[in-house]
Amino acid sequence: MLKHITIAATIFILIFGAFSVQAEKSTEMFIPIGQSPGVSGEYTVMGKIDQVNTRDQSIKMSGPSGSYTVRMTKHTFIYLDRSKTQLPNSYGTLADCKAGDTVEVKFVDNSRSKPIEWIKVQKAK
Amino acid sequence: MKPIVVLICGLLLLVGCHTPAPPPTPDPDAELIEKGRQIFFNETFDGNGRTCGTCHPAENNFAIDPAFIASLPDDDPLFVAEFNPALKENFENPRLMREFGLIIENLDGFDDLANKFTLRGVPHTLGLRFAIDSSLGPRTGWSGDGSPGDGSLRSFATGAVIQHFTKTLNRVAGVDFRLPTDAELDALEAFQFSLGRQQELTLPLPLRGTVAKRGQAIFNDLTLGKCSACHFNAGANFNPNIPFPVTGNLNFNTGVEDLPDQPQDLTGELVPLDDGFGIPGDGTFNTPSLIEAADTGPFFHNNAIETIEGSVAFYNGDAFNNSPAGQLIQQATGSGINLDGTQVVEVSAFLRVINALENIRQSIELLEPVARKSHQTVEQGLRLLDLAARETEDSIMVLSAGGLHPEAVQHLKEALRLTRKAKRSIFSKSHLARQAIELQQKARAELVETS
Repeated sequence: MLKHITIAATIFILIFGAFSVQAEKSTEMFIPIGQSPGVSGEYTVMGKIDQVNTRDQSIKMSGPSGSYTVRMTKHTFIYLDRSKTQLPNSYGTLADCKAGDTVEVKFVDNSRSKPIEWIKVQKAK
Repeated sequence: MKPIVVLICGLLLLVGCHTPAPPPTPDPDAELIEKGRQIFFNETFDGNGRTCGTCHPAENNFAIDPAFIASLPDDDPLFVAEFNPALKENFENPRLMREFGLIIENLDGFDDLANKFTLRGVPHTLGLRFAIDSSLGPRTGWSGDGSPGDGSLRSFATGAVIQHFTKTLNRVAGVDFRLPTDAELDALEAFQFSLGRQQELTLPLPLRGTVAKRGQAIFNDLTLGKCSACHFNAGANFNPNIPFPVTGNLNFNTGVEDLPDQPQDLTGELVPLDDGFGIPGDGTFNTPSLIEAADTGPFFHNNAIETIEGSVAFYNGDAFNNSPAGQLIQQATGSGINLDGTQVVEVSAFLRVINALENIRQSIELLEPVARKSHQTVEQGLRLLDLAARETEDSIMVLSAGGLHPEAVQHLKEALRLTRKAKRSIFSKSHLARQAIELQQKARAELVETS
C-alpha cells in the first residue's frame, strides 16, 4: 500500500511538478533595495552596474564584496525601485538597467552559481 | 452583628488566602511574545488604519467570516475600500468581502489590478508551529508562497503590510506605509508561533463517542477515508510513514477551483481563476491543519464550502477525484475517495470532537492564570476570561451543531456561565475560574478517556 503511494507520488511529481522549490512573491517589487526580510544582506548582492550585455542577458556589477557577472533568464523579475523619490515601483526590462545604477540581486536558490531570481534597480524617476 | 462580621472576614480571608498553584515555568520568550501581541493588534505601520488583528481578530479564532464581518461597524478598517476614495477601486470587493469573507490578493503581480487578482478567505493563525515547515522551505498563506523575502513566517508581515495596509494603490514604502523593522518582525513571529497548540496530536485518541470514534478510524484508514495521508495526526503535514520525495507541509492541486456552482461565482462579480503557488501558478495550495478546522470555516482557500460536513463530502466529488491529487490517490489505492453519507458525518464528528478538545485545552490554558492570580494586570485578566469564554462558545457550537456529546455541552454551558460571571466579579474571579476549569475537565472526560 505505502509502496504504491510512493510510486504514484513520484509519477505525480514528474507530471505535475507540484513541489516546485521556486516561490515567487509579488509584493517583493515594493520592498526597497536592501530591505527584503531574511534575504537582503544574507543572500543578495548589492552594487553598481558596470556593464549590461543584452546579447547574453547578463550584467556585470561591482560592489563592496567584489565584481560579479550575473545571468538572467526569462523568469528573472526586474523591479524598478523608485521609493527613494517617493514614486511607485514597477516592473522593468533589461533596457531599464544602465551602467551606474545601484542594484540588488538575488540568486535562484541563493546560489551564486545560478542565474538571478530578481534584480532591483534604483531609479530616480 | 459581631459574629456576622467575623464570619464575613473569615470568608474573605479564606478566599484571599487560597494558596495558588505554582505557576508553570515562565516562557523565555514571554516579553517578545507580548511585544508581538501589541504590534499585531495595535500597529498600523502608518498605513490605512488596518492592523494584523483587523483580519486576524483574537475573538474570532484569528480569522474572519461573514458572521463576524457583519458584527463590525461600517467604519472598521476592514471596510477601508468603502470609505477611503484612494482605495475604492481594485483594493477589495466589498460585496464579496461582506457576503463570503473574501479578500483580494494580487499574488500574480500588481500590473493589472482590475483583472489580475485572487479572492481568498482569511486563514487562522493557530498552531502555525506545525503548519509551515516543509523540506522545500516554509509554506505560508493559502498557496504556500505568501511571504516575500525568504518566504518565512517572520517575513509574512512585510508582504501583508504592502498588500493590505497601504493608503493608496501606489504602495510606496515610506509614503503609503512603513515596512516593519527587523525587531518588529521578530516579535510578530514569536507572537504568531505562540498561538494555539504547541504540540501535535497523536492519533488514535481514546475517544468515547461512538460516531467520532468511527470517524477517526475512517480518517486514519488509508484504504477508506485516506485523510491521514496528507493530514497526519489530523494536522497539516504529510504522513511521514509514507515514503515520499518531500516531507512536511506540502502543496497539492485538489481541484477546489473546479467545483461547480461556487457561491462567489453565482454573484456575477469578476472572480478570476486562482492559480495557487508561484507566478504563474501551478494550481496547488498547501495543506491546512484540521484540528482547528471545525470552528474556523468557511473552508478551502476561497471559502467555497460553509460546513465541515460539506468540506469532507468535497473529497467524494468529481472535482477532487479528477484533480491531480485525486488521481494520485486513485493510482496509489486503486480507487478515489468514496465515503457514504454516514461516513461523511462520522469523519466530520471526529473533526468536531478534536476541535472541541482543542477549545477545551485553550480555555483551560486561558483560565489558569486567572485561577492562579498570576496574570499581570486587571485588563489582562479580563482579556483572558473573555477569550476563554469565546473558546467555550466555540466548543459548545462545534459539538451542538453535530449533535454530539450533550452531557459535555451541559458542562461547557455551565463553564461558560461561570467564566462570564468571573469576568463581572470583583472578588471571586480566581474561585470562579477554578470552578470553570473543573467543568472544562469534566467536559473533556466526556469526549476522551482520561487517565
